[in-house]
Amino acid sequence: MANKGFGGAKSGSSQSAKQFILKFKKYWEANPDLKKAHQFFSSHLSELNESLLKSLQPIFRDLTKDKISQEQYLIALLFGNFGTSLRRFSLGNHALNLELSITSLQLILKVFTNQFFPEEWANTHNSLATAYINRIRCERADNIELAIEHSELALQIYTHNAFPSQWAMVQGNLGVAYINRIRGERADNIEKGILYYEMSLQVYTYKDFPQDWAITQIKLSHAYCERIRGERANNIEQAINLCNLALQVITREDFPQDWALIQNSLGAAYWERILGDRADNLEKSISAYELALQVQNYNDFPREWAGLQNNVGNVYRERIRGERTDNIEQAIMAFKLALQVDTRDAFPDAWAKLQNNLGLAYKDRIQGDRTHNLEEAIAAFNLASQVRTRESHPEFWATTQHNLAKSFRDRILGDRAENLEQAIQIFNQAAQVFTRDSFPEKWSINQAHLAEALIKRAELTNNCNDLDTAINILKAALELAVVGSPDYIDTQYRLGKALSRRYEHTKNADELEQAMQAYKIALDAINPEHYDRKQIWQALPTTQVILGSKLVSDGEWQEGLQMLLNSLTQLSTGDDPLAHADALYQTGRAYEVMADLDKARLFYRDALRLYDHLNDALGTTQSRAGLGSVLVSQGHLEKGISELAQAREGYLQLQRTEQANETDNIYQAAKRALERQSTEVYA
Amino acid sequence: MTTAHDIFDQVDNSFDRLGLTEIPFTESPTDPHSETLQNVFTGREDKLRQTFNLFKSRERRRILVYGRMGIGKSAFLLQVLSALGHKKKQMLTIYISLPANLDLATTALIALAKAMPDDEWAQRQLYQMGIPTEMILKERSSKAGGNLVFTGELSEKDLPVTKFQYPTVSLETLLEKAQKKYPEGVLIAIDDLDKQDPSTVRKLMHDAQGMLKGRAWFMLTGHPMGMTGDLLTSERGLFDLQLKLEELDQPTTYEMLINYLNSVRINNDITDANDPRSVLPFLPETAKKFCEVSLGKPRLFNRLGISVLSTAADLQTDVITQEILDKGLKAAARSLLLQAALNVQEERVLALLLERGGLSDETILMADLEQLGVRTFGELLIVLEKLEEADLIHQLNQDDTKAFAPIPLPQDQTLLVKNEE
Repeated sequence: MANKGFGGAKSGSSQSAKQFILKFKKYWEANPDLKKAHQFFSSHLSELNESLLKSLQPIFRDLTKDKISQEQYLIALLFGNFGTSLRRFSLGNHALNLELSITSLQLILKVFTNQFFPEEWANTHNSLATAYINRIRCERADNIELAIEHSELALQIYTHNAFPSQWAMVQGNLGVAYINRIRGERADNIEKGILYYEMSLQVYTYKDFPQDWAITQIKLSHAYCERIRGERANNIEQAINLCNLALQVITREDFPQDWALIQNSLGAAYWERILGDRADNLEKSISAYELALQVQNYNDFPREWAGLQNNVGNVYRERIRGERTDNIEQAIMAFKLALQVDTRDAFPDAWAKLQNNLGLAYKDRIQGDRTHNLEEAIAAFNLASQVRTRESHPEFWATTQHNLAKSFRDRILGDRAENLEQAIQIFNQAAQVFTRDSFPEKWSINQAHLAEALIKRAELTNNCNDLDTAINILKAALELAVVGSPDYIDTQYRLGKALSRRYEHTKNADELEQAMQAYKIALDAINPEHYDRKQIWQALPTTQVILGSKLVSDGEWQEGLQMLLNSLTQLSTGDDPLAHADALYQTGRAYEVMADLDKARLFYRDALRLYDHLNDALGTTQSRAGLGSVLVSQGHLEKGISELAQAREGYLQLQRTEQANETDNIYQAAKRALERQSTEVYA
Repeated sequence: MTTAHDIFDQVDNSFDRLGLTEIPFTESPTDPHSETLQNVFTGREDKLRQTFNLFKSRERRRILVYGRMGIGKSAFLLQVLSALGHKKKQMLTIYISLPANLDLATTALIALAKAMPDDEWAQRQLYQMGIPTEMILKERSSKAGGNLVFTGELSEKDLPVTKFQYPTVSLETLLEKAQKKYPEGVLIAIDDLDKQDPSTVRKLMHDAQGMLKGRAWFMLTGHPMGMTGDLLTSERGLFDLQLKLEELDQPTTYEMLINYLNSVRINNDITDANDPRSVLPFLPETAKKFCEVSLGKPRLFNRLGISVLSTAADLQTDVITQEILDKGLKAAARSLLLQAALNVQEERVLALLLERGGLSDETILMADLEQLGVRTFGELLIVLEKLEEADLIHQLNQDDTKAFAPIPLPQDQTLLVKNEE
């Protein structure tokens, strides 16, 4: 058997495998119970090894050779129970357990033929299907295809009419297989998965099979969370509703495990929720996960516990309430806890997922050295990609590439230009999986981040082409972005940024208008509590200042002034005093243009004071020049001349000859006026 | 035991000792038809002349009266209305203070409708806005009887209160009616625009352009920081006359004091400034001093006057000596501060201003601003204006800077918080 996956054979030392199987036979005959079987396996962990796997076939052959069919049937039954029990046994080497299970089940098909034991045959195929869905070794894509094949075989016997409940069970398994399917169009697969779940509900009614009905609701909820088709916000709402439906049946007292599963699904749905207040949703998500953790604790359910730690970590990483620094540390801690259970050898798949999430947390980390954190993030993403490869997990792989690209884009270590090239290249690789048709939302997000990298490259090279590309990409990405989602907000913000950067090149006021619009849309969609988006709050007033002063100089005084005054209100309470000073200066200019010289003077003086405080030489000089010219216009010649002289000197020091000359012109005119005044007095 | 009756008599006696019937000073001029205002209004001759010149024209005009708070804009407005009421009998003059949350057209409409009590349509407009009217209005609906021989049965029910949808149109309609009755036209004076915040005023003015250019004469008041700054630049063409009221000079203030005192004095009616009796119960030197601290600002003058006369009455004195004046002014300082009900930030700004002896946009330091938790002088202006409104500080007439100084009253320092260094 090809061993391309992980968790492969380690030891060749053999034991008496046959003795072990016979021991199990004896035990099972006395305790025909799944839980008891698990207890047996727990106390014989070392005997569940690779040599047992190799020996299963010869043992089976040996035990069934020359036996009458009744005896063969019993041996097949033993192997069947062994395989089925092991499939659900999570201790020890999980990958190996599943191989033991699959091999056992495949062996018994020699006895349980379609012809003689159709029911057992169908049952075995169904068990094999679930084992393949969970299989760790070999290509995951192949495994899922096998799961589908086995399920379909089972359905030859388990028809709706003859075996309704079994039929419903297989429908449910097919649903799981399609939801996890790698081959084929993902969006189609999820739709099929939902369809299979809904088929199973024809039998699993609330009245007749309340528990199965409820479990199917949970599965459907999960499917709606993953769904690509349809309005995403609605899908998530549907997922939440389904969980709440399931909770009508599944109480904590009666079905603690399933109840925890629902809490887990609720946690996931609230994490992904688009409607409602995001901060609230994340708190709800954390609460749900915490409830689940009360049941699925480390001692009794280590795997589930690890899964929940991963989920909690994800929410903390994005949490809005509380200190962000602490939240990210909390997330890192949760991922590291989960990694203690989900090791690379035992659960490579989960391990890779955790590496990806840990990488994300490091990428956002506030504590510690940012340079170092980004390197940690890059390392984690690379590790994740080693296990969940493009072939085995294309979607996950692309996500990790996307994250890796973002880290390279922001990387501090190494050459900035090279890092950006690397980032752009990796974004494009992710885009090979995240195509517009297959993954519209992820495509949109990936494109938006690619655009951000292009904007950064444009910054570095002063190349307008990159900005053009970025703007086009962002506009296209917005067509498919989920309106109101954080990514939508970010994309609008980036569009605003790209447009206002291009305005610096083109000086086309339309672009600034469009930038404003984009910022405004972003800001309107934002939750005030969303501290992570502070830059957007800052960007709007800053753009308002540019646009406002532009409008004033174009003669649209009232509108321009209003915009400037609005921006001032926001900037005066913000923590960007330089942007505040700019706004004050521009407002001064606006009032000067509008000939409201008293106000102009007031704003120039405030701008001057603030620029000076911030040691901004250019701002100080410009404000002085403005103040000087206003004072001169008002007839306060001596004061004006003094300011103009200082402004002229400032411009010269900044090597801005042109402005120095302009200032000098006003200075000279004021001087002459002053001389005229004094000669008039003395004449 | 002293009864309330006794105390009343004592107070009466105290004012008798001062030779006055009552305190003539008021916080604000109230009634456009009161005789008192005509007796005490002093100065502003040139501005009145400019205003009345306009009324010689047949064309409708718009007049803006502006100036610092407490400079006497309302009094000026009322004085104009009073004179026109006497001299132009065929002109309807209306005064209204701009209510909060109301646009100019509706304000003007209310004022006009109130001034036309006989006009049923006008009263109906008021009634519909929920404003009490003297006429009892009933909605009439006639139920025609089956037999046409009988007149229709008349039933009445109360009108529902509805909100105005088109105040400008209603105003125009009413003005049209008014003009038939008052061929010399209608003057609507809207006071206290400066009590609204600048952006509201800007919007009000912007929205009211149609109305202002309509059938009536308008007089509006505002203060420079509140409206004229922006207004003058954007709606310059809106006003035919912009009158800036400034502080009265010392001789005029002195004359005003004489007029006020004379309006309530029992023993003499001397108005000659050279006669020391004209300022009794003040002495000429305390009268002069009183005028100095009043800074030529009528509202401050009135506020201080109330305090000084009350103090003098309390102390059972018959003449206001330097000592009495000092006590009166100290009491004024205290009551101004208490009335102002300052918040912590306002107190801090005031304390800094007193400490520095003044604040201006030219000289204030970044450290001072930071100490007050702001980055710009512009942000302090709102506080400084509130302090000015409360007569705790005043704005200096410096035209190259915005500068504020304390009112030169003897301060009761214990009342103020100190800025922590």
